[in-house]
Amino acid sequence: MSRTRRTNLVAGAALSVLAFAGLFPYLFMVVASVKDNEQFFASYWSPAWPLHLENYAAAWEQVSPYLFTSFVVAGLAIAGTLALAPASAFVFARYRFPGRNTLFALIAALLMVPSITSLIPLFVLMRDLGILDSRLVLIVPHITANTVFGIVVMRTYMAQLPEEIFEAARVDGAGGIRVFLAFMLPLARPVIGTVALMTVLGVWNDYFWPLLTVQTDAYRTIPAGLAFFANQNVQQWGPLFAGYVLASLPLVVLFTFLSKWFLAGIQGGIVSGK
Amino acid sequence: MISTKVRRRLPWGVYLVLLPTFALLAAFAYYPALNGMVHSLFEWRPGFESPFVGFENYLTMLGDDLWWASFRNIGIIFVWAVTLMWVLPLLAAELVMSLSSERLRFVFRTLLILPLAFPAVVNVLLWQFMYDPRDGVINSLLRAVGLDGLAGNWIGDPDTALVALMTIGFPWVASLPFLVFLSALQNVPAEIYQAAEVDGAGRLRRFWSIDLPMMFRDVKLLFVLAVISVLQYGMQAHIMTKGGPDNATQVPVLRMLDAAFLDTSWGYAATLGTVLFALTLAVSLVALALGRKAQA
Repeated sequence: MSRTRRTNLVAGAALSVLAFAGLFPYLFMVVASVKDNEQFFASYWSPAWPLHLENYAAAWEQVSPYLFTSFVVAGLAIAGTLALAPASAFVFARYRFPGRNTLFALIAALLMVPSITSLIPLFVLMRDLGILDSRLVLIVPHITANTVFGIVVMRTYMAQLPEEIFEAARVDGAGGIRVFLAFMLPLARPVIGTVALMTVLGVWNDYFWPLLTVQTDAYRTIPAGLAFFANQNVQQWGPLFAGYVLASLPLVVLFTFLSKWFLAGIQGGIVSGK
Repeated sequence: MISTKVRRRLPWGVYLVLLPTFALLAAFAYYPALNGMVHSLFEWRPGFESPFVGFENYLTMLGDDLWWASFRNIGIIFVWAVTLMWVLPLLAAELVMSLSSERLRFVFRTLLILPLAFPAVVNVLLWQFMYDPRDGVINSLLRAVGLDGLAGNWIGDPDTALVALMTIGFPWVASLPFLVFLSALQNVPAEIYQAAEVDGAGRLRRFWSIDLPMMFRDVKLLFVLAVISVLQYGMQAHIMTKGGPDNATQVPVLRMLDAAFLDTSWGYAATLGTVLFALTLAVSLVALALGRKAQA
C-alpha cells in the first residue's frame, strides 16, 4: 500500500514538472496580458496590480477583424464541406454502382497530396480566376481538403452501421434521399462533428495560404493575422499577450466543451492516413 | 416487373450526387496538382507566354546548394523529432499509467495536453518571446541566476537558431506521440501486467518486454507521419527566422516559396513542389507496402 503511494507521489511530482513546463508560456502570457510595460519590467516573474484590462481593449481592436474573418471562413467552409461530403460518403457506403471503387480511390488518393506541395499551382489558379485577396480564396481550399477527409472518414463510419435500420425505413417506402436525411444524417452526428472540428482547426492553423493570397488586413485569418499583429506591437508586451489570448479563446472554448471531438480532430491525421 | 427493377438500379442518382464533389475536386485539387507537375517543365510566367524548357528546372535544382542545405536541416529536425521529442512524451505516458487513481490520471492527462488547445501560431509566437534577447524568459532566467554570460541571441545566431526552432514546445508532451503512446498503453490488457507481476517482473522489465513491443505498430505509424510532416515543415521557421540567419534554418518549403514569391521563378517553384510531393508520396507508398506485408 505504501509502495503504491510512493509511486503516486514520485510520478505525480514528475508529471507536475512536465505539465508546468508545457503550460509555462501560456501562464506567462495570461499573467503578462494584464500588465503595463512598467509592471512587466518591475515584476517580471509575478502578477502585478492593478490589472490593466485596457490591454484587451487595445488588442481587441486589432485582433477582432482576424477573429471575424476566421469565423466566417470556418463557418462557410463547414457549410460547404457538409453540403458535399456526407451525401457522397453515403453513396459510397450504401450503394453499389459501376466505378464505385475507382471513384473512391481517386478521392482517397488526394489524402496523399499535401496542400503545401500544390500551393504554387493553386495560387496561380486563384490568380487566373481573379479571386486573390478575397475571403473566397481562403474558403475554397478548406472545403476541398475537408471534403476529401470527410468522405473518407464518413464512408467508413456509415458503412459499419447495421443495414437493418435502413432496411426497415425502405420497407416503409422511404427513398434514398429520405433515408439519408431522416436516418443517416442524425446517426452520423459524431463523425460530422469531428469533420467540422477538423475544419475549424484547419482554419486556425493554416498559415502560408492566407499569408500569401490576402493583402487586405481584415481578410487575414488568425494565423497570418496574428503574425502580422506581433510585428505591429513589438515591445508592447501587455497588448501583445492580450491579443494572443483573444486569438486562442475560440479553440480553448472548443477544447473545454468538446475535448473528445477535439482530440479526435487532432488525431484525424492518423485516421485518414490509414 | 424485373425490367423495372433493373431500370431502378441504373444508378443515375448516385452519379448526380457525386457530380458536385468531383467538379470541385477537379477544379481545385486534381487540376492544380497536375498543372504544377506539367509546369515544372516550363519557364512558368503566369499571365504571359511560358516557354517549354524540358528538365532545365530539375538540373537547376541539382545545383541549388540552398535546396540541399535545406534538406540537411530537415534531416536534423527529423532525427530530433523522433528521438528527443518522443522520449519525454513516452516517459509522461508511462508516468500517467503508473498512477493508481483513475481521477489523478485524468487530471494529469488533461493538464499535459492542455497546450494543444492553443493555436499553433500562438505557441510559436510565445516561444519567439521566450527567445527574445532583451526581455525573453530564457535570458531573464539566466540573468536572474547570475549566468549573464550564457544569455544569447538564440534565434539571431546561426549556431543556435536551428536548435531554438526545434526546442519550440518543450517538453513536447502536448503532442500526437503522447496521445498515441498513452492510448497504446491503455490498450494493454490488464491480465498481461498481472501475469508479469506474478513472474516478478519489475517496472523497467515490464517497459522493455511488454510496453515497447505493444507500441511497436504505433511507433512505425508515428515514424512515417514524422517523415511526412518534416517534409512540410515551414511555419515555425517562417515566423521566427524566415530561413535565416545566414540560411541556418532554411527548409525546403521556404526555399520553394522564395523561388516563387521572391525570385518569381514559378516554374522552378513548381519543380521544387513536385519533388516534395514525389518524396511524400514515396514515403507514404513504402509505408503502405510495409504495412501490407506486416499484415500478411
